[in-house]
Amino acid sequence: MNTYVPILVLGALAAGFAIFSVDMARRTGPKRYNRAKLDAYECGIEPTPQPAGGGRFPIKYYLTAMLFIVFDIEIVFLYPWAVSFDALGLFGLVEMLLFVLTVFVAYAYVWRRGGLEWD
Amino acid sequence: MTGTIHSLWTTAADSATPLDKIPTPKIEYAQLSPVLIVFGAAVLGILVEALLPRRSRYIAQLGVSVTGLAAAFAAIVALAADGYASAKSHIAAMGAVAVDGPALFLQGTIVLVALVAAFTFAERRLDPLAHGRRVDSFAAQGSTVPGSEQEKRAVRAGFTTTEVFPLLLFAVGGMMIFPAANDLLTLFVSLEVFSLPLYLLCALARRHRLLSQEAAVKYFLLGAFSSAILLFGVALLYGYAGTISYGGIADVISGTAKMTPALANTTANDSLLLIGGAMVVVGLLFKVAAVPFHMWTPDVYQGAPTPVTGFMAAATKVAAFGALLRLLYVVLPGIRWDWRPVMWGVAIATMVIGAIIAVTQTDVKRLLAYSSIAHAGFILAGVIALSPDGVSSVLFYLAAYSFVTLGAFAVVTLVRDAGGEATHLSRWAGLGRRSPLVAAVFAVFLLAFAGIPLTSGFAGKFAVFKAAAQGGAVPLVIIGVISSAIAAFFYIRVIVLMFFSEPQPGGPSVAVPSALTSTAIAAGVAVTLALGVAPQYFLDLAGKASVFVR
Amino acid sequence: MNPINYLYLSALLFTIGGAGVLVRRNAIIVFMCVELMLNACNLAFVTFARLHGNLDGQIIAFFTMVVAAAEVVVGLAIIVTFFRSRHSASVDDASLMKL
Repeated sequence: MNTYVPILVLGALAAGFAIFSVDMARRTGPKRYNRAKLDAYECGIEPTPQPAGGGRFPIKYYLTAMLFIVFDIEIVFLYPWAVSFDALGLFGLVEMLLFVLTVFVAYAYVWRRGGLEWD
Repeated sequence: MTGTIHSLWTTAADSATPLDKIPTPKIEYAQLSPVLIVFGAAVLGILVEALLPRRSRYIAQLGVSVTGLAAAFAAIVALAADGYASAKSHIAAMGAVAVDGPALFLQGTIVLVALVAAFTFAERRLDPLAHGRRVDSFAAQGSTVPGSEQEKRAVRAGFTTTEVFPLLLFAVGGMMIFPAANDLLTLFVSLEVFSLPLYLLCALARRHRLLSQEAAVKYFLLGAFSSAILLFGVALLYGYAGTISYGGIADVISGTAKMTPALANTTANDSLLLIGGAMVVVGLLFKVAAVPFHMWTPDVYQGAPTPVTGFMAAATKVAAFGALLRLLYVVLPGIRWDWRPVMWGVAIATMVIGAIIAVTQTDVKRLLAYSSIAHAGFILAGVIALSPDGVSSVLFYLAAYSFVTLGAFAVVTLVRDAGGEATHLSRWAGLGRRSPLVAAVFAVFLLAFAGIPLTSGFAGKFAVFKAAAQGGAVPLVIIGVISSAIAAFFYIRVIVLMFFSEPQPGGPSVAVPSALTSTAIAAGVAVTLALGVAPQYFLDLAGKASVFVR
Repeated sequence: MNPINYLYLSALLFTIGGAGVLVRRNAIIVFMCVELMLNACNLAFVTFARLHGNLDGQIIAFFTMVVAAAEVVVGLAIIVTFFRSRHSASVDDASLMKL
């Protein structure tokens, strides 16, 4: 149990600091609201307006999301390989390079054909 | 129960350094070279799309595809000549892929079919010029809405979807692994590798885009459904046997595998094996379009661009029957008393329903679709034989059937009117008077479908029915002969329609194809007649290649 | 907990997905049901892997995930083009060709 005490203390300190900062900011900071502050928060970019006609999104989202999924899922193979990299040796390295190369061919296609351009 | 469960994490902790114990896998690149060449060509095709300017892509893609497929065929022949089809046949790539007679024979068939199909894909003289440019059967830009301003702009700019060539190659690569797959995971992955490009190819017709997109949606949803069923079957078989390798599962079924407590537990009850095997077989029967899993076939065959339909009808059938053969002959012979009655029923239903519904069809492409269903039934009769003769007759039938199909669909692309291909049967009336050569060629293909002597269809049907009869399936053969007679009726009806009825005024015209489609059709006719006149050589070849490696 | 329960759950999920494919009319929903079936397969794979004490099932689950992702990309591309030309994703509207 003793080994967990530092972690508990760290957690308490972090929570205390967070509460303290928020509280201090609320008490001491100036309150000047503007449009940007009241908008929905979308990871720092300009909020996308609700599309007309009941919640349809431009097709560009679909393209980006699909590209993300395809390239993201390749990690699933890289991770087990990285864990047993030592045991697999040169063979594993060459095979994984071939695999990544194939993924890069797909990437080159997407890039050259304008799949990464937003507009 | 809990006592028999191994914990992966505790066993890993027990052994001091488990990671060092991974043996380095060994891949026999030379023996896998046919597949690797095709996939390499496909990846090269993607690079061509990415890096070359638009106007030089078509010729580059055609060159890459044809070279790649020809090289792959040369590699297959070299492997077979080296004895991998018989004496040296073995299992490569750590148990994933079999290199044996049936695999090499079917891979050779698929590659040749794809080579001929690539010619029909590349045909650019059938459609009228679009803004002064020659165009093929594929949409200018797949993503545009049919009839929209955007599509018109794409057509004016002379866009063409040259991606069809890499898609074709990826599909071919998947189809080549499919009949050679020697574990259930490879089976599933290769199924998806060849299905996904086919779904896309279906959606890319230049004319009748709405039909084409509809066909693609149907094919995709039903195809994904069937592959999910197959995957659950794989899961259950894995649960039964604790392994996914074909030989391993067969050992567990026959009781020769080393028993572990977990295995004793899962094999105590046969329901895992029976349900799992049934679900895997259902997934494969869907791909070969056997009744009652045939509902997608007519719509997809009708809606897809005709060159794609020809390729799909020919090559998918070869690949899927190859996989079905290997599964039933290598993995599940131990439970043949369970699956044979069911396959009897499926084969009978497929032959009879395919032949009877074909009689009522009025569209050439739908007619050929139902005829392909009926042919799936005939091939199933050979599969059920469960003998070396059964394997060799099925191999021969597949090679014969695929070239007839490819040629027939290539002829369908030639008969056109203002709206594109004229596929309604009434439009074909009197075709024999207006263009005797095209009608005669189509008649040859129809006679081969009907199984008239001196065509490949006769030799194939004879071999299959003989094997089935020797395998004890005489009633099946009788029903098969009756349904061939029904099927012959509608093939002959089309021939009569072409030659003995008056041409319609304003009927379709026959486009003069370039050397590409002419070559494809000529290849179809040549194979049909060669296999029909001198079948023995090819039957011997198939016979030599009919032993599965375990 | 007895791993057999996970197999029951997996079969249940698979059945829900299969029933959804057969009764739902929206192509997207049908497709989501297919994905549910694939995930049910994954659950069965990892459960069997634990029962048998080998890793094959876990590896297959990885492959299934990748295949499912590729299938999503291809499938949504097809369904989106279908939707854009008809303004409907209902499979009942896919009836230009007679049955």
